[in-house]
Amino acid sequence: MSGSRGWTLRETLIVTVLGAVFAVLYLGWVQVWLIAQAVFGPVTMDVVMGFWFIASIVAAAIIRKPGVAFAAEVLTAAVQILLGSPAGLLLLVTGAVQGSGAEAVFAATRWRNYSLPVLMAAGVGAAILSFIYTWIRFDYGALQLGILIAMFVLRCLSGALLGGWLGHVIVEALYRTGALAGLAIDHAKRSVIA
Amino acid sequence: MVAAGRLMLRALNPLSKLLVCIVGLLASVLVFDARFQMALIVVTGFTLIALNRTSPLLLLVLMVPFCLFGFGFLTTSLLFRQDSDFATRMAGEAFLSSPAVSAGLTLFLRAVACGMISAFFALTTDPGSFVRALMVHARLPPRIGYSLFAAMLLVPDLASEAQQMRIARAMKTGRRIRRVPGPGEIIHLVIPMLAFAIRRAGRTAVALEARGLSPDGPRTVMSAPGFNRSDMIFIVVALGIVTLCGAAVVSDVGLR
Amino acid sequence: MRSDPSSPKAGFAAEWHEVTVQYPFAKGQAVGPVSLTVQPGERVLLLGPSGSGKSTLLLTLTGLVPNSIPATVSGDIRLFGADVGMRQPWAWAAQVAQYFQDADQTLCGMRVEDEIAFALENRALPPKHIADRVTAAMRRVGVPESWRSCPTSTLSGGERQFVALAATLVQNAPLFVADEPTAHLAPQAADRLHALLTEHDPHRSVLIVDHRLDGLIQHIDRMVVLGRDGSILAEGRPRTVFRAKRDLLASQGVWCPVASALDARLEQAGIAPPVAPLSVDEALAHVDPGTTSGEDVDRAIPAVEAFVAEYTVRSPHTAPDTPILARLVTAECAPFLGPTVLRNIDLAIHQGETLGILGANGAGKSTLGLCLSGLLPLKAGKRIGAPGGCAFQRPENQFTAGTVRDEILDALPKQISTKDKAEHVAGTLAVWGLSGFETRHPFELSQGQKRRLALATLTVSDRWPLLVLDEPMAGLDAHGVSTLMREIQALQGSGHAIAVITHDMDLALRLCPRSIVVGEGGILADGPTEELMRDLALLQRAGLAEPSCARALQWLQRVASC
Ligand SMILES: Nc1ncnc2c1ncn2[C@@H]1O[C@H](COP(=O)(O)OP(=O)(O)OP(=O)(O)O)[C@@H](O)[C@H]1O
Ligand SMILES: Nc1ncnc2c1ncn2[C@@H]1O[C@H](COP(=O)(O)OP(=O)(O)OP(=O)(O)O)[C@@H](O)[C@H]1O
Ligand SMILES: [Mg+2]
Ligand SMILES: [Mg+2]
Repeated sequence: MSGSRGWTLRETLIVTVLGAVFAVLYLGWVQVWLIAQAVFGPVTMDVVMGFWFIASIVAAAIIRKPGVAFAAEVLTAAVQILLGSPAGLLLLVTGAVQGSGAEAVFAATRWRNYSLPVLMAAGVGAAILSFIYTWIRFDYGALQLGILIAMFVLRCLSGALLGGWLGHVIVEALYRTGALAGLAIDHAKRSVIA
Repeated sequence: MVAAGRLMLRALNPLSKLLVCIVGLLASVLVFDARFQMALIVVTGFTLIALNRTSPLLLLVLMVPFCLFGFGFLTTSLLFRQDSDFATRMAGEAFLSSPAVSAGLTLFLRAVACGMISAFFALTTDPGSFVRALMVHARLPPRIGYSLFAAMLLVPDLASEAQQMRIARAMKTGRRIRRVPGPGEIIHLVIPMLAFAIRRAGRTAVALEARGLSPDGPRTVMSAPGFNRSDMIFIVVALGIVTLCGAAVVSDVGLR
Repeated sequence: MRSDPSSPKAGFAAEWHEVTVQYPFAKGQAVGPVSLTVQPGERVLLLGPSGSGKSTLLLTLTGLVPNSIPATVSGDIRLFGADVGMRQPWAWAAQVAQYFQDADQTLCGMRVEDEIAFALENRALPPKHIADRVTAAMRRVGVPESWRSCPTSTLSGGERQFVALAATLVQNAPLFVADEPTAHLAPQAADRLHALLTEHDPHRSVLIVDHRLDGLIQHIDRMVVLGRDGSILAEGRPRTVFRAKRDLLASQGVWCPVASALDARLEQAGIAPPVAPLSVDEALAHVDPGTTSGEDVDRAIPAVEAFVAEYTVRSPHTAPDTPILARLVTAECAPFLGPTVLRNIDLAIHQGETLGILGANGAGKSTLGLCLSGLLPLKAGKRIGAPGGCAFQRPENQFTAGTVRDEILDALPKQISTKDKAEHVAGTLAVWGLSGFETRHPFELSQGQKRRLALATLTVSDRWPLLVLDEPMAGLDAHGVSTLMREIQALQGSGHAIAVITHDMDLALRLCPRSIVVGEGGILADGPTEELMRDLALLQRAGLAEPSCARALQWLQRVASC
């Protein structure tokens, strides 16, 4: 049940289903980004990157169990493959990398704290790992130092704002709709009031 | 013949296609050479067009995002590489052989090659049978398998659910609904759609459990794809081609 | 009493002993304390006013409440002699097949074929065997082969209910539990399914919750009635209960079969049949002019006449010269993202008119309703006239606010001052029996409460001169329906036009002077409801049935001709 560390079927379903909705949103976001990317180069990627972490942050903030952030990113990628996204198979790796970044931050709080600063930190965590990954994949070692620093800072900012802060806003709005009744976030909030 | 090829590609076990595609992607990432990427693009694209009867136009459209994505790398390499002497080289006739250009070009082609391989998988595989194959042959736990199913099936319903919500809102506000929602309206729909998805997840969980979906234990999977000889042939041929291309490029580099 | 065993003993298929359920953060208990048993081979009907906790009680049966839906449950629940808590809900699936109140809650959104096979797959039966049983179940329930690979989300409400029933019946479990299994089915289909669900089989127990009794009640061995406070009001054989507790049931808003109304009238006339009848035919057989003394028949005539008067059109026909409020001109209607299902529709609705829209499942009634209200763009043709509001077939689709109060507030006319608004809200909620639920989230209501809230938001607002109500009676108890009828008559009086989509022939006859029958891709018939109801060929063709009073009318004619 919700108290234990294992996932219930409902929680598994929520994670994948969130993945599906975000997969659709990502699809729209990708169009915005790609056009900008062709013009401004990969720096744009760093600016918009944070949005890609949001699925794991929202899922983790709702379900509050170990492994949620990581699994959410991977499952989101899996859903995108199933939906026939041509970028599918690569997303699995990207998802795993970003998910572990966010998961590491939540692990550091021993999966107890899901306040706004922690969510933003999780966004930054995902940003750092994903930066390392892009470094390896796209031969960043060959780039000038200045641009590298700029890219890194931008990506961390984006992770904190588009990932952490926006994720927090979405979770709060979702909570108000009553759809989260009975989930970990509900218990946490009600026990604060009580 | 073409029809048979089309059938063959589709009838292959999704897992053998997955294996080949993953090897292809790995090779594309590891072998940093423009000609190798070119070879991958041509072979995959040709197979799709010839055997799967994918229209070349569709393929081109699908590759547009990857081209845009790759193009970004091309420009960055030109402008920001440490050894980029863009301005001076621009004037010279050796522009195309500059390391910045060739690295950028390889990155660009690699983006397209990865896209092509992924598109190959997406275009020839039925997602349902992919999940079934994973459950049968890769021991994917049924709960995760059915969660993926549920998520996949949710997406087409999002559109009609959004339409219902728009109608309900139009009724409340007394305004007529427009045929196509504006961006503002879309943003207002995001939270209700997420809430709908979460509610539906809860309902589906009850439905699945009530009909006996257990976390483990044996279960039959109807119409799950099996492995047969054509899978073996496909894997051997495809991996052979990738190895051949790789070997040709590597030995060529070695010779030089 | 049978349902209050002092010691739980093996031998019952299902058994609740002093069970109470409380939802988290709710003020009171949703159920109980209730004690109830089902014996092997027995067919039990559970009745009760809306919100009395029937659905909740069924959900506790395999532990879905509290395992998957959080709640506090106390008391003993046993299945086939074993404590329910001993196993997880899914482990009971081989013993218990459950149809939930909402077809969408029973289905998982897969293709029809996969949906029906799912339960059997989970039992690890051999594929060949599963394929055979799926085909057999589809044939039995009447799911056409052509649906096999349709996703269930592209079916109409009633069609989905068919699939969900096939998916539960295929399990062939020793205990079959169904919550309003025929709420959205057209009359002929409902009759067929009722017979199928309650087929007598000594190895199969059946527990059904339903508001729609005609056609079902004959097959029931024992019925149990829950009261508003969640405790058991009455229990026993249907014939006894409906006669002995008629007034109590009516005061609680519990549906009684139509025959029970006729029985009451005959009783008043002093010629009640010795055993209480369960169908109009049975009641009339007792006063058959061929076999009964003339004196008794004479006494029965006013009783039957009064009964018929109660069940025929009450509101006056609209005069042909009243202005047209809205009309469709050679319209083609298609569901959102679906194919065109109706062609060449010409339909006009007049001020102050109540129009019935009848037809088989999947005929396109909901689609027509949305087009008529102007909320769904037409594929071709045009719509002229005033804007319309629509109560959707699934009430959930209508909710946009976070609480019941906000839902009503949003619907109130703009010009009302804030102070009056609070009063209005309280008044509306009282009328619809929703007082006390102000701060509840609309999704946390029972199905009937959801329906009432959805209807309340439409009728309270004066925004639309035209209202389309899509199966408003589904899931309502008798109180709910009488409120609805009052509201409709009030709206009609103030010049509104109302179109009611329904599968309840009695209600159509009582409420709607004029009706249309939808089928075969168009409008099959358009005319006075009484005339349509007499056209047996038409009813047969459109999957409809005669209203209950038809037999009484025929009896009167026979008596007159004798
Ligand atoms: N998820 C929930 N959370 C909180 N309260 C609920 C929930 N579901 C139902 N309730 C409340 O519990 C009570 C019993 O509901 P239930 O659905 O069991 O009624 P019901 O007898 O099936 O009614 P109906 O005939 O309308 O379907 C109602 O007052 C309802 O508002
Ligand atoms: N989204 C969709 N895509 C494809 N077909 C659809 C879709 N929605 C409905 N249909 C089909 O359109 C037809 C009409 O549906 P509609 O909901 O109007 O039927 P209905 O008369 O209201 O039936 P019911 O009495 O069961 O509610 C049905 O055959 C249904 O299968
Ligand atoms: Mg109910
Ligand atoms: Mg309908």
